[in-house]
Amino acid sequence: MRTSSGVVRGPFGWGIALKSISLAWRLLMRQRRAGDLKVVIAALAVAIAALVSVMSFADRLQRALKFQGSELLAADLVVRSPYPAKAEWTAEISRLGLQSAPTVSFRSVVLRDEHSHLAEVKAVGEGYPLRGRVRVAADISGVDAPAGGIPTAGTVWVDGQLLALLNTTVGGQVTLGARRFTIDKVITLEPDRGGEVFAIAPRLMLNIADLPSTQLIQPGSLASYRLLIAGDVVLIDAFRSWMRKRREAGVGLHDASNAQPRFRTALDKGEQFLGLATLISVLLAGVAIARAARNYAQRHLDTVALMRCVGATQGTIVTVFVTQLLVLGTVGGAIGSVIGYVAQQAFVYLLPGLVAGELPWPSLTPAGVGMAAGVITLIGFAAPIILRLRGVPPLRVLRRELGTLPNHIAAVYITAMLTLAALVLWVGRDLVLAGYVLGGSAATILLLWALSLLTLRAVSGLRRRMNVSWRFGVAALARRAGSATGQIVAIGVGVMAILLLTLVRGDILQAWRSSLPADTPNHFLINIQARQLEDITVFFRKYGWPDPQLRPIVRARLIAVNDTPVEAQDFKDAFAQRVVQRAANLSWAESLQSDNKLVAGNWWRDQERALPLVSVEKQYAEALRLSLGDTLRYRIADQEITVTVSNLRSVAWDSFRPNFFLLVPPELLREYPASYITSLHVPRSQTHQINELIKQFPNITDIDVDALLRQVRGLVDRVNLVLEYVFLFTVLAGIVVLYAAMQTTRAERRQEVAILRTLGATQSQLSLGMISEFVVMGLLAGGVGALAAMMVGYGVSEYLLGVPYRFQVGTWLGGVAAAVILVTMAGLLGTYRLWHTSPWHSLRET
Amino acid sequence: MTPEIIVQAEALTKQVSSPEGVLTILSDVSMSVRKGETVAVVGVSGSGKSTLLGLLAGLDLPTTGRVILNGTDLSRVDEDQRARVRAGRVGFVFQNFQLLPSFTAMENVMLPLELAGRGVAEQEARLGLTRVGLEDRMAHYPSQLSGGEQQRVAIARAFACRPQILFADEPTGNLDENTGGRIIQLLFDLNRERGTTLVLVTHDREIGTRCERRLELSAGRLVGALH
Repeated sequence: MRTSSGVVRGPFGWGIALKSISLAWRLLMRQRRAGDLKVVIAALAVAIAALVSVMSFADRLQRALKFQGSELLAADLVVRSPYPAKAEWTAEISRLGLQSAPTVSFRSVVLRDEHSHLAEVKAVGEGYPLRGRVRVAADISGVDAPAGGIPTAGTVWVDGQLLALLNTTVGGQVTLGARRFTIDKVITLEPDRGGEVFAIAPRLMLNIADLPSTQLIQPGSLASYRLLIAGDVVLIDAFRSWMRKRREAGVGLHDASNAQPRFRTALDKGEQFLGLATLISVLLAGVAIARAARNYAQRHLDTVALMRCVGATQGTIVTVFVTQLLVLGTVGGAIGSVIGYVAQQAFVYLLPGLVAGELPWPSLTPAGVGMAAGVITLIGFAAPIILRLRGVPPLRVLRRELGTLPNHIAAVYITAMLTLAALVLWVGRDLVLAGYVLGGSAATILLLWALSLLTLRAVSGLRRRMNVSWRFGVAALARRAGSATGQIVAIGVGVMAILLLTLVRGDILQAWRSSLPADTPNHFLINIQARQLEDITVFFRKYGWPDPQLRPIVRARLIAVNDTPVEAQDFKDAFAQRVVQRAANLSWAESLQSDNKLVAGNWWRDQERALPLVSVEKQYAEALRLSLGDTLRYRIADQEITVTVSNLRSVAWDSFRPNFFLLVPPELLREYPASYITSLHVPRSQTHQINELIKQFPNITDIDVDALLRQVRGLVDRVNLVLEYVFLFTVLAGIVVLYAAMQTTRAERRQEVAILRTLGATQSQLSLGMISEFVVMGLLAGGVGALAAMMVGYGVSEYLLGVPYRFQVGTWLGGVAAAVILVTMAGLLGTYRLWHTSPWHSLRET
Repeated sequence: MTPEIIVQAEALTKQVSSPEGVLTILSDVSMSVRKGETVAVVGVSGSGKSTLLGLLAGLDLPTTGRVILNGTDLSRVDEDQRARVRAGRVGFVFQNFQLLPSFTAMENVMLPLELAGRGVAEQEARLGLTRVGLEDRMAHYPSQLSGGEQQRVAIARAFACRPQILFADEPTGNLDENTGGRIIQLLFDLNRERGTTLVLVTHDREIGTRCERRLELSAGRLVGALH
């Protein structure tokens, strides 16, 4: 149809919309020729590239870290049960096309002639381990190498220590139950042993096919059955939910996420940091895009006024610019995604061995997120500004001061925050972390906005007393108070984000370093008898080792909770079942060890030293559903003792120090028979001294955790390296923010520089003027941004990552100094070319 | 004795590249201006007048040829040295005023004095603004002034340093006839009072006639010199 004004209208105004879209496209193409769009697309592309590279790298690393977690489990998923795997399970595993391998673990005495010793026996099926490698050596002092398979029929592999204890060598014969075996290899590393350090006597590994011939496993035998499973993530998930639906009592499912507590800190903190880095990249991309969008809208005020003049409706203006935004978002997002992918891949080539084994290929998710983030961020941050273009009056054609964009549009901040919140939740998936980052950003923005305005007013009042260069800088800032505040807010949020990442990274590293110092114990001595305590101390002194910290252990079996007798079958949780089945190690302590933290109740006071109280580790308490005030009855030898839960503790199991699920006051168990445990650090070159100790005290068992410790350290080192590089990428995103912020005032600066040049200003006068402006901006942005980073860093470190936070004035000063230097350098670099541009060109363009 | 030459252009050519190829804006222009002289460069729009002014003041460089301003060959020195040649000795009045938007009227007038290191900037600026009739507008920002007032600030700024030579580029181009007339009057009055050399670019032949000498440009070439 044709309206009275002669405009062709389709149904619902589609004709106009289509015309507007086509107009939008034509305008875009013309700007492309004019080179005007490049800046917007570049800002968008770099921001998205930083986001995509961090995301896809983090995605790959997270999967690699999970894979490393799988190595520590020797599988992707482990089904742990008190009986052998049911046929239905293995049928389902075959149906899904997953790999599996069974293991059976139990304790038994190993005999050789007159020698005998308790061993942790592990029978393994073909394919074990499905993830990671067992390392073996041909003899006790031989060089180890990955084992090619599992022990062959009739042979066993053992820990070196068992050889010493049985006084035999590789090739010797040992008896296990009703069967004789030949010792074939010495085990130096068993991937899935990390969590069992304290539970074990030396290892003896045999082929599961030989297990029946030992006749050791009878109905009711205390054995732990594991079915190791590996394969495609989706299929593993399918099997996991299939198993969960079966709700089989006493069956536990374990994967990398709940694998070895000894590696959890490194993996968890590493993953959380990557999550944080990704969030911060989103935040920085958003801020950069918001500034770029504002510049874009600002540059189009005249176009809009002209379009309005020649009859464009507000609807047309909105359609034209929203279409342009969508095209820009898609193009910038696509370019950014490609650059991001290439960058993170280059990264992988630059860092061989970053993670053990192959890095999995990146998934397409980050590219999708990058593209979507490009469009969403651009719309979320730019739409309120673009919608303002509707209101540009046609009269602007005559009076340019009309219809300029306000510097602070509440809607911009609100939609930007909402967009950011949506993106952060989508990308980060961690509500608490997102809360900290968003809360910190919002507080930073408010504080920066208020402080900037106040400071700019204050310094503006002082300008009469300044020389011309400083006055030029300060006056420029004061006049541009609005846009300068916008710049300061953008830079301040950037400083906050980057510094937050620096601080948290530092805290994580510090926590790791302090949790695993160079002298972390690598040997545990267990089974020390009370009568040997003095002799052991003498032995330690002979080698110049520090006096042993001997921790007592009283073996006790749990028989009742709150006077109700307990049986393994009362609990569905596999861990709870083991707790009830096995003897517990009760220890006592005067005070709380530094790697323990009270989570409920109070530690005992001096007058409570002999009271029947117990301090319970959190996980243990959760498994048995214990709370403060509950009573636990234990049998110790032929006596019973009832203790009341007085506090709950969390334990850093990765500290490599002796730790216990249960602690009682120091006087309570003095009369009960106890053995002792201690840990010490012995350099690898002096391991023979430990052998001497074992010879002198044959009842003592040495557990060598050196290999395990090296495994943890290697992991921590690699995670650390990853964090450093991801951090670098985030800094790049921050530089984009700086660039975008500086671009805002480029046109004005160009004119100012030209006028000053015309009037005879020298380069030093120009640079001093600009430096003064950038220094004030940097001081404000850096000061507030760094302060906010420290506050948010405190929250994230203390409450989220659980690593201690240290306030340091030096960090704040460093943050401020870095902001001042970076802003000034970026500002000077951005304006340097203007000093050498012919003033005539600049003046004529204005 | 003949007054000495303050600015001299020798065989100036200015070319720029455009999508259509190389565009010649000025072609083989030679001229000189003596101290104390008032010279108008007239011509139609696009004849190259403003480009010539920019070259004479050292705001831009010719493609070939040279400009000697106050004894300095501007092609042989860098942008910084050209700025030094202008500082305190050359004044400007532009069609679109070119005031610093972040400075008050007073600060704008003080600017060239301060850049030249003159100690009495504030006093001189006050006198200058009073002379152009803006004594009660000193603390105003350019955006708070009318076009005529802004041009008066620009004139006060141009004369603040008591320059040896003043370049004016279409100083009435953005003003209505009445205001323009008053501005031109002010410019010539001040010029006479201070004995400044004036190079005035205008398309208005009538304004041109107020100068001692007129040079006419057409399509980038000097086509006539009238006394």
